[in-house]
Amino acid sequence: MIGVAYETFLLGRRAFLRWARVPGNWISTLFFPLIQLVLFSQLFKDIIQLPGFKESSYLAYLAPGQIVFAVFLGVSWVGINLLMDYHNGYLDKLRVTPINRISILFGEMVPLFVTCAMMAAVILVTSLALGASLVTGIPGALGILALSGLFGIAWAGTSFVPALITKNEQAAGSLSLLFFPLAFMSTAFVPVERMPGWLQVVNNWNPISYVIEAQRALMSTGFDAGLIGKALLAMAILFIVTQAATIWAFRRLTA
Amino acid sequence: MVTETQQRLDETHAAAAPVIEVRELVKVYKGGTRAVDGVSFTVAEGEFFGFLGPNGAGKTTTIRILATLLRPTSGSAKVSGIDVLAHPGEVRREVGFAMQTVAVDPLATGRENLELIGRLRRVPASELQGRIDELLVLMKLTESQKKVVGTYSGGMKRRLDLATALLHRPKVLFLDEPTEGLDPQSRNALWEELESVNRSGTTMFLTTHYMEEADRLCKRIAIVDEGKIVVEGTPAELKRTVGNDVVELQLEADSPNELERQRSGIGRMLEGFEPVAEIKSSPAGVQLYVSDAAAAIPELVRRLDGDGIRIGALTMHQPSLDDVFMRYTGKTIREEQANVHFTGWY
Repeated sequence: MIGVAYETFLLGRRAFLRWARVPGNWISTLFFPLIQLVLFSQLFKDIIQLPGFKESSYLAYLAPGQIVFAVFLGVSWVGINLLMDYHNGYLDKLRVTPINRISILFGEMVPLFVTCAMMAAVILVTSLALGASLVTGIPGALGILALSGLFGIAWAGTSFVPALITKNEQAAGSLSLLFFPLAFMSTAFVPVERMPGWLQVVNNWNPISYVIEAQRALMSTGFDAGLIGKALLAMAILFIVTQAATIWAFRRLTA
Repeated sequence: MVTETQQRLDETHAAAAPVIEVRELVKVYKGGTRAVDGVSFTVAEGEFFGFLGPNGAGKTTTIRILATLLRPTSGSAKVSGIDVLAHPGEVRREVGFAMQTVAVDPLATGRENLELIGRLRRVPASELQGRIDELLVLMKLTESQKKVVGTYSGGMKRRLDLATALLHRPKVLFLDEPTEGLDPQSRNALWEELESVNRSGTTMFLTTHYMEEADRLCKRIAIVDEGKIVVEGTPAELKRTVGNDVVELQLEADSPNELERQRSGIGRMLEGFEPVAEIKSSPAGVQLYVSDAAAAIPELVRRLDGDGIRIGALTMHQPSLDDVFMRYTGKTIREEQANVHFTGWY
């Protein structure tokens, strides 16, 4: 256990530095949600008058969705890093050392908490600068970042599994695109009351919406234990399913 | 009583056990390719042993099995007395492996690359920095240690990769085509570094398709082809089995039939000419094994005058490992290189 933790720390630090040293990684990830935040909050400003919105402005409604959206985008390609190590021999180099092989996977997963929280922070700060409010203050902000980090780890499996199974960068990239509609079908853009009936049903099973709702409460209404609990539960289920699949695919690759 | 004596004998054997011990190793990939087809050999402590053969001969597969990256279909392999199948984790502690594809992290500096592998291998913190300095000097990387590896030349990456394999002072170092893709100058430099690693007591197991490399570095080699060891011995011994000087005749012919006609013509015309011990066909003509070739060539050329034999070029040389390979397999290593194929882990 201590061995795995130490190895995960060493490999996680490498993964973090690899991310941080290529600014293109986070610039390209943040570009899309930032544009959506700035543009949509102006373009659809008047949508807030429709019934179902409880916030003071569409910007306040949109911000939590874009935070989660940034995390969603940020982890959509992370499986490819492991694939690159597989193809260039680095994974073999690690496999020849006497470490626990699961540390290699954890070393990719754990730093996602930090990188996702950092990307979430950029969107959060931007939306506050644009005029969104944060009623829960610093503790609420930390809560938002923590939820974002956890969501990043739980969602990353959707990138790891296609990458590890196909062993092909392009295939992995296009397979993770299949998850895109889920982000648009969430409550990132409109509340559930404004959705057609069938979408409301889908939304009940969409983990992304639960994370967004908990964060939205932290920004505009206050600490809501019920919503935070639901978000944690949704992420726990997501985590168990995606991690089980990821560990299976990883073991298969490195047997 | 018998069993007791037997047991004592076994113990004596164990004490003098070789560092690498491979018995009847077989690897069949999915799809039926027999990459390794019943290979057995042993390597003694401190030895520099090499597998020489063309690409696709099963060299990489063998070395990956020994380094615990691949499971054999059957047979057994022990490294440092430890079974690679039963205790792969312990084998990993004893060995270093520099792979054919240089595996270094391009976004980290040279020193960071070494620190990470050193810590993962649990080199004690009190020794690690000193050990890294030592290896940077050995691999002539001290000045570039703080540069990101993505900026290194091919030779520097190779040397860094080799350094990461040496951090924990492995008993055995596996080298898979260590100078592949290097220019002659870097190759020579790397050979010197490998020799000094071996001098410090590390047992070396190398695969290569460069005869000069095997000749220069290895005290003992096994020539491999199509998954089998064809012959094994010291380079000098193997060359002695070829015995004579090698005279290569390149023939000018417009068609394969014509080439074949000239070959059999040569066979007939040299019948009973004593210095010629053996005639073999080579891709562009024939290869003659001739004793004291320098003295025999004038008469040899005279005999081949006529009957439409058109000699385009005549070269002679002392036997090389390529001639050894040719003698035992009927092929040259070079013509076999076309078929490069990495089959992955399965």
